[in-house]
Amino acid sequence: MISDAPPVELTIDGQLVRVPRGTTIWEAAREVGLDIPALCHDPGLDPAGVCRMCVVDVGERVLTASCVRECVDGMSVTTGGETIEEHRRRLVGLLLAEHPSPCATEQRTGDCELEALGRQHGFLSPEEPVTRTKPQDTTSPVISVDHQACILCDRCIRACDDVQSNEVIGRTGKGATARIAFDLDRPMGQSTCVSCGECAAACPTGALVGKTLTLPVVSRDDMTRVDTVCPYCGVGCAVTAWTRGGTIVELEGRDSPVNQGRLCVKGRYGWDYTLHPHRLTTPLIRRDDAYPKGPLSAEVTSSVPTGSPRKPGGLVDLDTVLPAFREATWEEALDRVGQRLTEIRDQHGSKALAGFGSAKGSNEEAYLFQRLIRAGLGTNNVDHCTRLCHASSVAALMETIGSGAVTNVFADVARSDVALVTGSNTTANHPVAATFIKQAAKAGTDLIVVDVRRNPIADVAKHFAQIRPGTDVAFYNGLLHVLCRDGWLDHDYISDHTEGFDELKSLVLAEYSPSQAEAICGIPAAEIEAIAKTLGRATPPGGGGSLIVFWGMGISQHVTGTDNARCLISLCLATGNVGKPGSGLHPLRGQNNVQGASDAGLIPMVFPDYQSVADDEIRARFEEAWGRPLDPEPGLTVVEIMAGALERSIRGMYIMGENPFISDPNANKVRQALSSLDFLAVQDIFLTETAEFADVILPAGSYFEKTGTYTNTDRRVQLGQPVLDPPGMARQDWQILCDVSRQVGLDSDYQDVSAVFDEFASLTRNYQGLSHEVLGETGRLWPCPDPETSDGTQILFGDGFPTASGRGRFVACPFIPADELPDADYPFVLNTGRVLEHWHTGSMTRRSKALDAIEPAPFVSIHPEDLKRLGLEDGQQLSISSRRGTIELAARADRGVQSGSVFVPFHFREAAANTLTNDVLDPDGKIPEFKVCAVKISAAETPGDMTAPSAPLG
Amino acid sequence: MELLRELLDLQHQHGHLADEHLETLARSRDVPLYQLEGLVSFYTHFRRTPPPQRHIAVCRDVVCRMQGCEQLTRDLVGSHSPGDEIEVVEVSCLGRCDSAPAVAINDRPACGGDPNQLLDDQGDDEVSCLVPRPAHNWQSDPYHEPADRFGLVTRLVSDTQKDLASTCIDSLTQAGLRGMGGAGFPTGRKWGLVASEEADTKFVICNADESEPGTFKDRDLLATVPHLVIEGMVLAGLAIGASRGIIFLRNEYAIEMALLESALVDARNRGILGPDAAGSGQAFDIEIFVSPGGYILGEETALLEALEDRRGEPRNKPPYPGQVGLQGQPTLINNVETFALAVPIITHGADWWQDQGRPGYSGLKFVSVSGDVLHPGVYEIPVGTTVSELVELAGGVPEDRSIKAFLPGGASSRFLPGELIDTPLDFDAIAAAGSMLGTGAVIIMDERRDLFELATNLVRFFRNESCGKCVPCRLGSDHAVDLLESVAARSSGPEVLEELPALGETLLQTSICGLGQVALVPILSMLEHFPAEVPQA
Repeated sequence: MISDAPPVELTIDGQLVRVPRGTTIWEAAREVGLDIPALCHDPGLDPAGVCRMCVVDVGERVLTASCVRECVDGMSVTTGGETIEEHRRRLVGLLLAEHPSPCATEQRTGDCELEALGRQHGFLSPEEPVTRTKPQDTTSPVISVDHQACILCDRCIRACDDVQSNEVIGRTGKGATARIAFDLDRPMGQSTCVSCGECAAACPTGALVGKTLTLPVVSRDDMTRVDTVCPYCGVGCAVTAWTRGGTIVELEGRDSPVNQGRLCVKGRYGWDYTLHPHRLTTPLIRRDDAYPKGPLSAEVTSSVPTGSPRKPGGLVDLDTVLPAFREATWEEALDRVGQRLTEIRDQHGSKALAGFGSAKGSNEEAYLFQRLIRAGLGTNNVDHCTRLCHASSVAALMETIGSGAVTNVFADVARSDVALVTGSNTTANHPVAATFIKQAAKAGTDLIVVDVRRNPIADVAKHFAQIRPGTDVAFYNGLLHVLCRDGWLDHDYISDHTEGFDELKSLVLAEYSPSQAEAICGIPAAEIEAIAKTLGRATPPGGGGSLIVFWGMGISQHVTGTDNARCLISLCLATGNVGKPGSGLHPLRGQNNVQGASDAGLIPMVFPDYQSVADDEIRARFEEAWGRPLDPEPGLTVVEIMAGALERSIRGMYIMGENPFISDPNANKVRQALSSLDFLAVQDIFLTETAEFADVILPAGSYFEKTGTYTNTDRRVQLGQPVLDPPGMARQDWQILCDVSRQVGLDSDYQDVSAVFDEFASLTRNYQGLSHEVLGETGRLWPCPDPETSDGTQILFGDGFPTASGRGRFVACPFIPADELPDADYPFVLNTGRVLEHWHTGSMTRRSKALDAIEPAPFVSIHPEDLKRLGLEDGQQLSISSRRGTIELAARADRGVQSGSVFVPFHFREAAANTLTNDVLDPDGKIPEFKVCAVKISAAETPGDMTAPSAPLG
Repeated sequence: MELLRELLDLQHQHGHLADEHLETLARSRDVPLYQLEGLVSFYTHFRRTPPPQRHIAVCRDVVCRMQGCEQLTRDLVGSHSPGDEIEVVEVSCLGRCDSAPAVAINDRPACGGDPNQLLDDQGDDEVSCLVPRPAHNWQSDPYHEPADRFGLVTRLVSDTQKDLASTCIDSLTQAGLRGMGGAGFPTGRKWGLVASEEADTKFVICNADESEPGTFKDRDLLATVPHLVIEGMVLAGLAIGASRGIIFLRNEYAIEMALLESALVDARNRGILGPDAAGSGQAFDIEIFVSPGGYILGEETALLEALEDRRGEPRNKPPYPGQVGLQGQPTLINNVETFALAVPIITHGADWWQDQGRPGYSGLKFVSVSGDVLHPGVYEIPVGTTVSELVELAGGVPEDRSIKAFLPGGASSRFLPGELIDTPLDFDAIAAAGSMLGTGAVIIMDERRDLFELATNLVRFFRNESCGKCVPCRLGSDHAVDLLESVAARSSGPEVLEELPALGETLLQTSICGLGQVALVPILSMLEHFPAEVPQA
């Protein structure tokens, strides 16, 4: 560890060197340009000192390993010379004698570090292959293991443990028979490995190598590199894509403040969807004989079983869907879209139109999309999937602190005394952010995890509170009760920077004692007291302390989602933990650009940068910028638009990159709504379930085929770069949006996509000063007043809030139960969410070979005791019904789910969880209650691998 | 400690560690599975499959090899049928070289002579065939009556005139006592260094994990003078400011552990251990940690790793345990004999100690004598006694055969030829003769012995016991064994051994710990002194 102590002075190979105390000889040598060879050392990992290649002479009885030896004053180091080189050569020789040269890495990229050292020391390639005495393991879908090529440098162990905190790899055996092992020496593919690939990235030889996903990886000199950003989650990991022969062959983590080179399984191995043969390559127009509209593929689910057969689940079946469409030219397709949308506008008024943009698209696309809907079609009925994820969080944040974005970046958890993670399966949904949280917890941050399910992040927690579904408010009010009762508060902060504390205090003191809270949320009063005491560490007497709060959909997707978020905000305000290091509010954003899509105005109530459409002055500015009169009335939200379609007040829709058929609650209702539309245009890269209802389908470019900026969960604006060309006639989304805009009479002549960004940024405060050019390789955090020299603003609101009063506001929230509670008919609570390997409606990840191989089919997680009680077995096909529908899927026994609850991931169309969910909304955030509805469970009538009931379209 | 103890308990309960035991433990202790795999595959005491009714372990190392362990193993394997619930395995040194060939049945020492008896032996608390331990009257024990024990610490604590720490450290320093575990670091200096470390928590650890072939003196000291070991540790604890002592005991010493435990109870009853140790006002107590097995744990940082529930892989040094030891705290680690000898030295003073040696030498030394002598065992000798005198004490060489070679300090010391038999047993004198006193384990080899075979056996021991952490030791020792075995099998000519000196130098220069550094010492010294012993192709 580098300390503040005075530097040390030593000589290395005769050079006088001055380095901070705590610097190793290896590091010090590097600073003066001396590269001491090492196989086990990687500057990103703690040194291990096991390969001994880096030995140097410090004048002791024997040589010392420079990677682990700290410099001390007056030390005289010799790093080379004949004797030392001879020892190194002998060690290389011992390793090469067992090494299957050329190993897999040498064969692929030609950069096996051992073989390179061998060449340096004059070892020739062996004439005969080594006798293999150690096994190979190809059971992992993404990584090949060759123990013969392993030199036991332990880099993979440290990468798995210290970097990713997955704790899967270790050494087994002893001495000459030692080798690396997964869990209890399981084959890698049957271990608890989550396939993040950090081990393979760290391996210096061919012992751990990523399997070929498209074409084999070759020498770096013969491939093209493009630095871009991962397309999946809101973490926004920096990546390098390697291409050759017109295809991506490998994705690597890239060093950036966001991910420090780390990736998860989706980022590293889930990119081949972009090359899938299902990609849309031509505009499609629905054939006249394919009306009236309905889903075209064999029905996926229904609450009205008829016994008619359907194909086993999986992707949309193009054989049955494509005949309903005919190929068209862009000209005809665009003309059709423009004509039908304007017809509806003219006939039924602008309010009969609506658009869903996408948080997967770029800021520029989001900006153009809302501009098209607002200025081109004249309505504010424009929304996107943030409505389904953090709308309630944003509502609460806007109301209380005047800004919907995070107040601090996730990696600052390293400086937190206390961290709270709630309603977030972080290791699955924000895997790389989770690695930073886990590292912090290991390094001394007190981690509190509150969730209805015991997720892996709880493994490193000091406290884990498994609350009853939908009782968050009662639990947090209980905590606030203890904080208020015992005075664990930042009184100065409360009086200087907040308002409304007294109302909160009197509510929680009067009605939410730990035992009162226990009666609702099920957490023992003593445990509530203990957790509050830990929170007290975040506000110690005399100041200091820090608390960062992370939350996910477990907080937001409730009818009380806004109340839940208000409680978390109150925790931070009451303990004075906004606006300082290690502190803050961090709703973990789901999609890669959910922050940016919201920033860019894909929200019915606000223009870009959260500027109210109802404000005359603001509206006048946008009317001037866009040259069209704008609607002063806020538009409808996602679920309201679907309801509008069902009752025919919405007649036409434009959907870009969203798949509401799978993602929206109460799928049967969504299906009816989509088929009720007079006109639906869908712009996407695949023919999704939603596109089955389309009149016109426009083929778009995938993430890897376009330029654009994406704003991650930290508010970091990063530039995505094109890696491939769009297939066939597919076009970049921004160009399609400009074309459609022109069709409806809106001038849209931008020189390139960076000009779109410039226009967007000029209409905001937070993006002022940013441009594609200035973003650089690792982007900028908004706001960024001085982008030329600064990375941007990491911590917001150190001195007040952008609210009318300049103060943060406490909102006292009494507990309100979930909308649909279990009863005798529907005795279980259904919770829905995601799994590590899949993304939302599965349109990308289920077309990725590796991800699909790891998690190919729908399942329901259920407590083994519940299975036993119902006379059911692990793996058995179950039928789950709510008042809205029925699905069938396999049981997966899981002790992490509390008894009386079940969890179903919503990625799988053949057992779409949203067939069951309740489309009731939070009154403020308008977010549906995906996390709680009542279901019943029984054995399925048909075995798992056979056909399941189907129904014709109603 | 807790995790390894729990694993040992589980194994004791179930006879082995099945996957489900480990999975349950991983859940309840919240540790990753790989950590348990790493532990149970590393430590020799664990087994993953159900044990047979009779598990017969035969020592394969140098002294037992001289006494016919190979034949015994063959006989045992040959004389039971596959259906019998019997498993015969060769194991590393069991620490009973004085009863060679050493055998353990179901982890209890047994009599190695008659294979049929071993196969039938129903197990007995009294192991009749072990060399009977004489009624020791060690010079080193200042206490003639049990009632007098712990008199030193009691006296020092009550003496308000003198500072206990400086009295102890000064006496040890003046006496020139050096560590008896093999490395010979000055004991007074070590105590002084740890005493001067500023820390709230410190530890005293007694390294009772002697596992090197030929070495068993600590075993007898634990059995005969456990009170001295305990008192030495209490003095150390009070001197350096530690409240917790740990005796790291090899698991093959179950018999001695019982004696040690009753001595601990006695010390607690007398108030020597406990919240007010010996009336000092300081807390100090001692617990026993039973090693899960492996010679490498005698390396002090490997021992610390084991106590921290990790694989016993030595740490890179510095820092040394005196500064950063158990749980990162300053830790004093001494050998059994070192703690025991501290008591008479502080009791009688440095002058007395120096008078105990032969003229020109200082002090007393416990040595383990084994190999070709009539009465192998542990002897307390004045330092400076010659090897030949020691051989006489041990009854001489059977049938008066001549001595071809000897190892003066255990498996890691260099072979010395028989002509040097009159070398005095003393750190410096043995070093001057070209070897080292090490642990004081003298192994005598008479004229009949095949030194190439025995030296190969010693290298094989180090290969078998290498933890595998660092490249030179893991691969270098294995490569050396391959070469030696190919020469022994006449499949290679002796010229392949020409690379050994350079390989040995690389192991010495680049290995993390002493094991790798000395792994080739036996064969290199043997080649130097006895080149004619190498088999010719």
